[in-house]
Amino acid sequence: MGDSTTAGAPSEQQLAALVDTLAADPDRRHELMDLLREDHAFYDQRSTTAISRMRGWILLALARFGLPETALVFVLEELSTGVDAYLVAAAARALRSHPAPAAAFAPFVMRALTNVRNRDEPVSFDSYGDYAARDTGTSAVRELLATLAWLGPHAAGVLSEVEALRTLRGGLFSRTLRLDVDRAVAAIRDADRASVPAADSCCGVSDNIGTSSWVRDSRRDSRSIEQAVFEDHAGAAVSFQEFFRGHASIVVFFYTRCDNPLKCSLTITKLARVQKLLATRGLDDRVHTAAITYDPGFDLPERLRRYGQDRGVRLDAGHRMLRTTDGLEALRRHFNLGVNFIESLVNRHRIEAYILDAEGRVARSFERIAWDEQQLVDHAVQVMNEERDATAAHAPKSGCCHRAVSSAGR
Amino acid sequence: MATKRKAAKRPAAARKAKRPATRSIRQATSLATSSRQDVASRLSALAEMPMTGEDDAHLRAVLAVVVNTSEPIAVRLAALQTLQTASFSSAAFPAFRGDYIAALRTLTQDPDPELRQRVLGFLAREKDGFAQKKLLEGLRDPAKALVPPEKALQLLSYDVHAEAYPIARAIVSKPPNPTARREALRLLAADAKAAPMFERLLRDKDETREIRQISAAALQATKPDTLQKHAREILLDPSEQDEIQATCLTALTQFGNTEAVAGDTTLMKRIERLRGKASSNVKRSARQFLTKYGR
Repeated sequence: MGDSTTAGAPSEQQLAALVDTLAADPDRRHELMDLLREDHAFYDQRSTTAISRMRGWILLALARFGLPETALVFVLEELSTGVDAYLVAAAARALRSHPAPAAAFAPFVMRALTNVRNRDEPVSFDSYGDYAARDTGTSAVRELLATLAWLGPHAAGVLSEVEALRTLRGGLFSRTLRLDVDRAVAAIRDADRASVPAADSCCGVSDNIGTSSWVRDSRRDSRSIEQAVFEDHAGAAVSFQEFFRGHASIVVFFYTRCDNPLKCSLTITKLARVQKLLATRGLDDRVHTAAITYDPGFDLPERLRRYGQDRGVRLDAGHRMLRTTDGLEALRRHFNLGVNFIESLVNRHRIEAYILDAEGRVARSFERIAWDEQQLVDHAVQVMNEERDATAAHAPKSGCCHRAVSSAGR
Repeated sequence: MATKRKAAKRPAAARKAKRPATRSIRQATSLATSSRQDVASRLSALAEMPMTGEDDAHLRAVLAVVVNTSEPIAVRLAALQTLQTASFSSAAFPAFRGDYIAALRTLTQDPDPELRQRVLGFLAREKDGFAQKKLLEGLRDPAKALVPPEKALQLLSYDVHAEAYPIARAIVSKPPNPTARREALRLLAADAKAAPMFERLLRDKDETREIRQISAAALQATKPDTLQKHAREILLDPSEQDEIQATCLTALTQFGNTEAVAGDTTLMKRIERLRGKASSNVKRSARQFLTKYGR
């Protein structure tokens, strides 16, 4: 295939060669994880489809030597929210290289099946950037069904959903795929494999995967961003300092041109539910919420307002949709945003939500894996309580950082 | 009597009209895919192919016609249209989709330009990475182009996340033809960074009406306040083109800052004058504007 090259930047083929070099060198394999960060320079000025080719190739490289624990969050992220057949297929294949199957993987695989089964297509893993122009023997759905078969009895929790695939109306699956479904069902029911030790109890998916937290004294201060200026959904200007200091805040990122319904649109819909939960608990005046766009050049106030209102978001002085008018780079640095751009357009981003303390510092982050509304509110309450306790004690706690799980994406 | 005769005739006419609809999928597929049948009959069978049923065998048979270069092109194009219709109306399609996409990718190299263009259109609407790559390659190297540049730009514009802005900008600077330039500008209309270029084009009286209208729409999308400023100046300029003034009036009527516009007496007077002495298009737009502002 030809190469999509941006002037001065390394070509896609150069990235593919680097990936192969890193995968072949046991001492450098960990560097592959760095290449999965959305803000990596390799993704700058690439199309979304080029980024799919690049990330898919990295996932396939990881699959060749066994998926490390630190890469698991990237694979589960793709299964959870990916809609590109090639990338989802590569993620499914990578998951099968994990040292041990775990029951916690099954819902992710099932979700991916639901997400891509109407957009399935043959995929080719033969060479970098290869697109299937014939039946290659595999596809996103086939890779996912093979992954369910690999999980075997550990996928018992989703057995009824897998069985239901056989009876779906509307010829959803071809004869070949129906055979794959039968194979997955047989593997899940396989009593002989049920006794095989799994990762479920020791090193499966933590409930906190994708979540990080920082104790009060270890949080990065917000001085670098305090002067950043935003414009809200009503066209009013407000600085970071004015809006985010003096109370805890919940912050999500999005952009209105995002075409993945499982990312930005869902994030804003869930923010509306978070606001309702805050109101139910009488916290809506004490915790501010903000949805900040990655695409400030296009997401003008009217667009922000309509996007929020269409998704039920409460909009007032304490709850705003924001775009930066000055300070986008400072914002990217402060939050370590997992986003990249082609010209002014977002070309790839992760799901990310943050809880800021009363000084505008990041106290919690929820990245890649879809967050739960209740969990977010509970964490916001924790952050508020920490502030209250600290104020009461008049003495800061000892400053060490703990992160609930790996933060490879940051 | 007349009523009776009519009543007697109606069922026969209805039966005739309904005949194709009662053809089974099997019969329709057999007729549509048989090279022994005449082209007209095959086209009719393809156009009226029922989309019921959950077996995708008929879709595969129709696809075999599309990919067969020895079939008449009219039949192949009709077969492609039938599959495209099936993509959103047939319950059997999801199981077939993968093979369909793979076949379409092969068909991008078909010798027939119309079929190639339609196939690329279908793939581009799916935001297919393969099609985007081919279209970009063709724009960078005309020897590899599968479709004319203006068409390639149009197809790339289906995905705002395609890597098309740099090449579109290059085409605006050095267009192979005016249509390609126009399509490149349409594509750039969603790029906030292109606003200064669109400001210049909007104010350039030597540009065509279409280019200036594209520029106005682009500014409305990314810099509505800037458009409002230019719209005011264009309306106050007696040497401006009628169509552009009508466009500006519409923009101010629909999207203008109501408070600022209502308080602009110079603008109001000018538009009242336009309501009396201008082309019918401008008069109509002026009337709508003044109605909104209670004049």
